[in-house]
Amino acid sequence: MKKNNKYIWLPLLMAATTLISACGKQFLDEQPPTSVSVEKGILTDTDMMESLAGLYRNLDNYFLFGRNAVVFGDLLADNVYLSSTNSSRLLTQYSYTFIVSSPDARLLWSQSYYSILQANRIIGARINVNNNVNQLKGEAYTIRALCYLNLVNWFATPYTVKPTSDGVPLVTLSTDVGGAFIKPARNTVAEVYDQIISDLDSAYKIMPDATPSIHTTSSNFIAKQAVKALQARAYLYKADYDKARDAALLVVKNGGYTLAADANSFNAYWASSAARTDKLETIFELNNSAAANNGPEGMDYMYSRNGLGDLLATDDTYALYTATDKRRTLIIDSLRGGYQAYIVNKYQNANKTDKDEVKLLRYAEVLLTLAESYARLGDEANALLYLNKVAQNRDAALTAYTYSGTALTDAIIRERRKELAFEGLRFFDLTRTNADINRQNMGVKGYTSYPTVKTTDFRRLQPIPEVETGANPNIKQNPGY
Amino acid sequence: MVFNIHTRNNTDTIRPGILRLSLTAALSLFLLLLCHSRTLAATDTLRVTGTVTDSTGAPMPGVLVKVNGSSQATTTDATGHFVLKQVPTGATILFSMMGYLPQEIKVGSQPLYVRLRPGIRQLDEVVVTDGYRVTTRAANTSAIGTISGSALENKPFSTVMQSMQGKIAGLSAPLTSGQPGANVNIRIRGVGSLSLSSDPLIVVDGMIVNSGQLSGAVTTSNALAGINQNDIESIDVLKDAAATALYGSRGSTGVIVITTKRGKMGKTQVRADAEGGVASQIPLPHAGRPLNAAQYAELFREGLRNSGYTDAQTNDLADKYGLNSGKSNDWNDLVTRTGSQQQYNVSLNSGTEKTKLFASAGYFNQQATTIGADFKRVSGLINFDHQINKRFLLSAGVNISNVDQNTPYSTQYSGNPTWAARALRPYQLAYNDDGSINTSIAGNTNFPGIYNPLWIAKNDSKRLSETRMLGNAKLKWNIWDKLVYTSYFSIDYNTLEETIFLNPIMGDGVSAGGTSKNYYSRYTNWLTRNQLDYRYDIPGYDNFYVTASVGYEAQKSKKYLLAAVGSGFPSAHEDLTALSNAATPVGAYGQFSNYAFTSLYSSASINYRNKYALNGSYRRDGSSRFPPNNRNAGFYSIGGTWNVHEEDFFQQQRILSSLKIRSSYGTTGNANLGNYDWMPQANYSSSYSYAGYNGSQYSIIGNTDLRWETSKKFDAGADIGFRNDRFILTVDYYYNNIDGLIRAVNTSLTTGFGAVSQNVGSMVNKGWEFTIKGDILKCKDFNWNGNFNLALNKNEITRLPQGTLERNDMFYLKEGYSFNNYYLKEFAGVDPQTGSPLYYTDGGHSATTTDISKATYIVLNKQSVPKYMGGFSNVFTYKGISLGVDFNYNLGYWVYGASDIYFTSGAYYTYNKYQFIYDRRWTTPGQQTDVPKFSTTTDNSVSTYRLYRGDHIRLQNISIGYDFSHMALAKRLGVNKLYVYGRGTNLWTKTFDDRLPFDPEVSYSGFDYQNMLKYKTFTFGINVGF
Repeated sequence: MKKNNKYIWLPLLMAATTLISACGKQFLDEQPPTSVSVEKGILTDTDMMESLAGLYRNLDNYFLFGRNAVVFGDLLADNVYLSSTNSSRLLTQYSYTFIVSSPDARLLWSQSYYSILQANRIIGARINVNNNVNQLKGEAYTIRALCYLNLVNWFATPYTVKPTSDGVPLVTLSTDVGGAFIKPARNTVAEVYDQIISDLDSAYKIMPDATPSIHTTSSNFIAKQAVKALQARAYLYKADYDKARDAALLVVKNGGYTLAADANSFNAYWASSAARTDKLETIFELNNSAAANNGPEGMDYMYSRNGLGDLLATDDTYALYTATDKRRTLIIDSLRGGYQAYIVNKYQNANKTDKDEVKLLRYAEVLLTLAESYARLGDEANALLYLNKVAQNRDAALTAYTYSGTALTDAIIRERRKELAFEGLRFFDLTRTNADINRQNMGVKGYTSYPTVKTTDFRRLQPIPEVETGANPNIKQNPGY
Repeated sequence: MVFNIHTRNNTDTIRPGILRLSLTAALSLFLLLLCHSRTLAATDTLRVTGTVTDSTGAPMPGVLVKVNGSSQATTTDATGHFVLKQVPTGATILFSMMGYLPQEIKVGSQPLYVRLRPGIRQLDEVVVTDGYRVTTRAANTSAIGTISGSALENKPFSTVMQSMQGKIAGLSAPLTSGQPGANVNIRIRGVGSLSLSSDPLIVVDGMIVNSGQLSGAVTTSNALAGINQNDIESIDVLKDAAATALYGSRGSTGVIVITTKRGKMGKTQVRADAEGGVASQIPLPHAGRPLNAAQYAELFREGLRNSGYTDAQTNDLADKYGLNSGKSNDWNDLVTRTGSQQQYNVSLNSGTEKTKLFASAGYFNQQATTIGADFKRVSGLINFDHQINKRFLLSAGVNISNVDQNTPYSTQYSGNPTWAARALRPYQLAYNDDGSINTSIAGNTNFPGIYNPLWIAKNDSKRLSETRMLGNAKLKWNIWDKLVYTSYFSIDYNTLEETIFLNPIMGDGVSAGGTSKNYYSRYTNWLTRNQLDYRYDIPGYDNFYVTASVGYEAQKSKKYLLAAVGSGFPSAHEDLTALSNAATPVGAYGQFSNYAFTSLYSSASINYRNKYALNGSYRRDGSSRFPPNNRNAGFYSIGGTWNVHEEDFFQQQRILSSLKIRSSYGTTGNANLGNYDWMPQANYSSSYSYAGYNGSQYSIIGNTDLRWETSKKFDAGADIGFRNDRFILTVDYYYNNIDGLIRAVNTSLTTGFGAVSQNVGSMVNKGWEFTIKGDILKCKDFNWNGNFNLALNKNEITRLPQGTLERNDMFYLKEGYSFNNYYLKEFAGVDPQTGSPLYYTDGGHSATTTDISKATYIVLNKQSVPKYMGGFSNVFTYKGISLGVDFNYNLGYWVYGASDIYFTSGAYYTYNKYQFIYDRRWTTPGQQTDVPKFSTTTDNSVSTYRLYRGDHIRLQNISIGYDFSHMALAKRLGVNKLYVYGRGTNLWTKTFDDRLPFDPEVSYSGFDYQNMLKYKTFTFGINVGF
């Protein structure tokens, strides 16, 4: 029997191989190839930077600020009409026929909360604090505020109308912490604004004055002054004019931003698709590059005649500009579908590989917010100073405005319309001032129109998506739907 | 000197074929183990050798060979060969085997040639040999179905899965596509899961392999296509808990055990098979033939006229569409062709007492009946067993194959020739006047919408080259007689090269100027298993013993993927399709996907004189596919059997010749979860990058509480023999309660996600299975052996998450109903006065409406999966002639034409139509029909209008052959086997709905997606053995 033993090493070897290879504790720990477990997602400031980049990129998706969240602000208001020659995009939004199952409202809702989730993840990350971390967390706070400000203004009654009405649910914990089964009710509009203001205060408090080297310093990233610029907007929307003024003044005093000095500079500014480092005009804009853009679904493609060109400026809007107004050169008097049409030319890079950036905060808006705050607070001299600063910059031939009282605020609102046309803010100016939305009927040139949106129209609020109300019994639908 | 009999070794290598009715050794084994060794005087003994065959001359392994009056015994090996040493001169040798009449032979001239005649019951076959155990029929407590290799050989199918439909009660393997090498989705005892895969686990020679469709870019593929069916010894289908629980977390959807051929002791044998033939498309049902040019033109004009077009407008359109050109062609003819079929196999079988070898090489080539589709396989197999010494047996095997196939698009794609043939108008001309292929996209006699399928077939490719190496090694160590240690290692190494080319002239590649996508995937999957088997005979009793096994198994599978895409190809050089010709690199991708399992398993059994047997198993699995807190789970089974025919009282009746009752209960799991699905993940991707910075998003919600889906299986069955076991009836009842079904539960979108997977559902699969087989007619030279099976399955959802929508696309999703229950608005026929379609307003059919929005959804008593399914196989033999006739049938189900709207509705009047639309459309007031007036304003809503009865009976296989083996000439040439045959497959199909426009063998969803048309084959072949 002895000679048999010489083979015993064989099974022993095989068994040993198994034990060595398969009995280790790590044998069953398989890690995915392009992901990390969320709990290990942010361990360093570089991780945080990558998460923030992912967040910015999501803001730029076309259901959010990459197109819809910006386009709706004009399309549902009075600046823009949808050509009768169109690519079938955004028809229900334009014609005010949206219902609880409409995808546009659903995606605006879901993509906003998806961005908020990414922001929550950054804000909640517990890593050692340093300048980089403070900068990045500050940006995340600001983006969360931007998302809530956008949500509350699309899905809820304006603060200026009824601050105690239903706002949107406030979710401030990342889902891996807060759980997948939360069923939050709607906070009031006032509570949502409190959160927005507080997020922006937090951001401003922790962000270093100069952007640290964790990412480039350019208009593609939120700088410390951009926080105040957004906060000025939020205060303006809630009619807290003292604070709106203070926030805007901080930007004007400390920001170092300038308006384009002349026509050449103005035209070059709008023609450019590059991020800015010179603080000219733009405070914050979303990057669209050759490598990362929305292609035919981008906002620029929707407006540009080199793209789809479905969206045209109404005659009313065009008529606001004087012949010497530089901004009128951003609208081209041309043809579409055989009809005369005013073609929007603010976005000029739709057919280039490097597409247009999406401008979300501009210096001119801050100046006009400042002007309006002064006007509402009774300081008409300062109001006129900042109104004219914008108006005379854009139209060198303009005699300085000397309006007073209601005429002054009307002039400021009109100047906002002229300055910020096609940048997505018009709808909010009309809702916060509780004005009827008079949309010009462009007849055969346009798709089915919905001419007047009265202040009593339930469709001034977007419907809470039915998938939300289906999964979350605590959420209340907006009246009318 | 002590002589130890090592018997367990043999059983691994033995696979009896049912058709040969050969039996195996297992019963004999323990008889042998009971025999005490004896010391014999060395002087008056001799060595006795011989061969045992059955009545057809086929070698019989496992026959007990015993020296009469002594306890000395052995069993025959796989070639029927035996050796007995030290046999007293003049002794009588007893040959016995259950199922056969015993024979006694006095030792005389050697070697002995013994031919056993059948006569006794078939209950002692080895029913399964998988990685973990060997089970005999007497001790078996499980529901297991077996297909012997001989029933699979020389079939004109690229994968063995294509031959399985109707062969095993409770197993369905529908052929849903005529693409050679197409994946076949097998279901055992119904749908096993709602969200996870219900595909059964596939085990090849003990290895749990990666199966199904492993490719990423081609239309369809089947990882098992590399296995040559001529290399298969048998396929066992494990259905119930007692059989599957040892596979633990992966046994819930059933297990298919494939065993390849191994060398048998005896003279070296070489066998060569050659086969060739042709294939043609299974003719479309009359109802579904595309219209010819004249019919199409008539319908076109009628549709426009019925929709208010003036004659002038209609003529104008007719002109534009070429209806007046006099030029037309038949698209069905253009996209189909006579397919061809070839296979060549050579095998070698050689064995000595110590070393046995089986080696084979095969070539299989199939050109499909649809243009652009083909399949080629080259395969080789070597299985090797070597008895190192008395205590060590080494077995090893390696199977290498390459599959090369081209797979045109399926479903509603413009590049799908089947779809194009139905959709294109006869007036769209395939060829230009100069004979070249028409690639113009301008004008309605050309291809402004759907591409010219001839050009696509010629210039686009979706090609897969899959090379697989499946190797295993096993070492058995008989530590002592009752204790065996087995160490097993296997590797399944699979590489897939996929090259997609879309040409720049016409088709999906035009906008990019031609696109090439190359995918390289590599799967490295290894498994190791170490097992101890122990047997204890209870002292003082004959034939009363306990066995116990314990083992440890570990498996890891790693997938690696590298892909690159480029666009912009030289348009004038059609052959320059290699990726490096691309002007623009579009992207490059690399990633991996891995999983691992570890298992500790054990089983035990007790057998009392083959009258009663009990067995149980327990397995604890760990899997990387589940979160750490739920990573491990235990699965168990218990089974029992009573072989009633072993009881004395059984002999007092004459109706039954044998009766076995068995039952089992146990749990198994379903681990077909995506490899990382449980994990909440922050994902990196180029689509998350921003301003040049790498970006990540928390994009996968995961669920750290996810568990395995668990199936609690109950089975009760009986095997009943009649007329001396000439007929065997097997009946099984089963009840599978599947719990913890994973469903996506909607979440509040404020979480950032829309749904999360949770273990929230339950369902039950229950049913009956019947198999009856035996010699229906038996005369002197004539024999008719039949095998009929029938399976009834009923699925019922028993629990769903709250708030689940009842309408699940076209099905009713509700507790108390089958998952596959249609939920549709009901078509009520055609208003005889107006020709408008009518719909029922309610389930009681109390009123009809022409406005479908007023019709209600009705829970129909119609399902997409057959209520009754099975097969009927027959072998008729007369002298050397044999005739095989196999049917399968699927009854009691309904199929939906998911793409039919284009071929039935007047709104799509620019698409060709089904024949039944033309034949049965309403044209005159008062006409009773079921096809509405043909008009461009036809209502296109989803209703039962496009739901058809799917019931069918198919003549799956018919073959006739003649065996020349016994002819003198053959013998003189040294040929010991010479068999010539002709075979036809899918020659005839009986359907039961005269509106049914397509072949009703569709996927379990009941939807016809315009997959490639199926084919029938006519082949002629020859098998020669030396």
